Amino acid sequence: MKTPASHAVRMALIMVLLSAALFPIYWMVVTSLTSSANLFADRPQMLPDPSQAFNYAETFAKTGVLLWLKNSAIVAVGTMVLSILLAILPAYALSRFTFRGKGLLGFVLFATQMLPEAMLVVPLYAIFAKLLLLDTLGGLILANAAFTVPVITWILKGAIDGVPLEIEEAARIDGCSRIDIVLGIVLPVVAPTLAAASVIAFFHGWNEYVFAQTLVLSQELRTASVGLASFVGELSTPIHTVMAIGVMYTLPAVAFYLMVQRYVVAGMTAGSVKG
Amino acid sequence: MTDAAKLGTAMAGRSPRSGGRDRENRWTPYLFIAPVALYLAVFQGYPLLSEFVLSFTQTSLLAPQDARYVGLRNYRDLATSSDFASVLWITALYTLACVVCAIALGLGAALLLDRPFRGRGLARALVTVPWAAPPVAVATIFAWMLNAQYGIFNHVLKLMDFEIGYESWLDNPKLALPAILFTTVWQIFPFASVVLLAALQGVSEEVREAATMDGADRLSVFKVAVWPTIQPTVALLALFVTIWSLRRFDLIWVMTQGGPIGATKTLVIELYTRGFVTRELGEAAAVGMIGLTIALVVTFVYFWYTQRTERAQGRR
Repeated sequence: MKTPASHAVRMALIMVLLSAALFPIYWMVVTSLTSSANLFADRPQMLPDPSQAFNYAETFAKTGVLLWLKNSAIVAVGTMVLSILLAILPAYALSRFTFRGKGLLGFVLFATQMLPEAMLVVPLYAIFAKLLLLDTLGGLILANAAFTVPVITWILKGAIDGVPLEIEEAARIDGCSRIDIVLGIVLPVVAPTLAAASVIAFFHGWNEYVFAQTLVLSQELRTASVGLASFVGELSTPIHTVMAIGVMYTLPAVAFYLMVQRYVVAGMTAGSVKG
Repeated sequence: MTDAAKLGTAMAGRSPRSGGRDRENRWTPYLFIAPVALYLAVFQGYPLLSEFVLSFTQTSLLAPQDARYVGLRNYRDLATSSDFASVLWITALYTLACVVCAIALGLGAALLLDRPFRGRGLARALVTVPWAAPPVAVATIFAWMLNAQYGIFNHVLKLMDFEIGYESWLDNPKLALPAILFTTVWQIFPFASVVLLAALQGVSEEVREAATMDGADRLSVFKVAVWPTIQPTVALLALFVTIWSLRRFDLIWVMTQGGPIGATKTLVIELYTRGFVTRELGEAAAVGMIGLTIALVVTFVYFWYTQRTERAQGRR
């Protein structure tokens, strides 16, 4: 069954698959390192040209990209911290307690997955205006975490399901409070899942666009997604500058993801096949 | 990474286990869920309710305080609008194509990466890269690659001697939706492949070998040994890809804003356009409610379908 020929075909297909997955990212890098003349050449330049690295220096100088990236990072970290803080206790409650309304809570958490951000943005705008959250990064974090908390609650609940009750009981006999048990005993056991959940929330904040576009108005509070999108269809900025911003926005995210992907994939798929 | 990640999370919670035997205080669970309940009530529940109310009014973005109750008029207008019929059709087409293509490609990738080979770990990591790229960046790079005159796609097509000329993908009403679909599938298929790879771990070696020994060809082995195991995962993936496709905004908005002449206008794009371009908040809210109803119906169909399948398998 396993002939050398079939192995070669398989490896060739894998190479095609990986090239297709990576090419657009590669092309973004190449374009960001292409001279203005070559951008519009008849034959595209297929390799990055290191002598065009000054393009990045120009991009820093001419656009607010560093500020945008900083804002995105603040929103991402804020979304991550807030989501985790809010999700821990309900995750534990869903896993360990039986109570009236548990099914309803589960349904509500799932139902939030169906709500498009674009639909909630108008009423959120009105609420934010009342709460003085308009045009603040804190407001963005609050809006974003509302979408990540349900997901993270589910992930953590799944992990806590797998923690044996016995390790809690010993602590209970010693008179520890429920909160002590959750924070001191259960959380350390589910730390890998917690890490995966954190990454997911971080990426949500890093990628988010609709809220950042509508709930924040000041130039200096723009996130990278909004900054980058503002160049699409705009003709006065050279495409290698746009792509340089794209690279600075994408590559850190991809690199970070590759470093932690083992955790994320494990945390994400845990239990998914039990269904 | 996209919203894709979230799915997994919802999946992770699928093994119910009743733990609570303690009765320390019947209010403890409620104290535990109170902060999150309050938070979601303010930032999701209340906005959703206001949208529901808004959908029965005529309200302008410019003067929201002057809302006027119009009953079901917004819904009636949508029901009789041929433009809205085309929005529904495009949404259905886009969603269905996303489900089929992302799962088919994800399954193909998962099958390729399932068996051991040198560098498998690296290949599995690299194949998920599209999913880690921010959607706005993905939209930007694909818009550039699909550029009529200078885009790499048209260069390659020309090299391959396709008679396609310098097609302006995103400006052509016939090609814009396929182009958006292509971009979307590139971004989300890795998620399907990661989840299906995990599901493939559950395929029984014995069944697979037995089928192989019987001289079954690859397709039959797949049908007998692989498909029954991964089928529930495929169904769940279909549900999630459907829900995400119904609410996907950034990728489409950045690439085409729903154009050209509405060719890529899905429900969410229509909703946003009515709210922020024509500034009719009431109509926009009605579009949102219709979209939400569709998502709910799909979810109920999924649960009905899985329960029916489970019962059928139980009888077998």
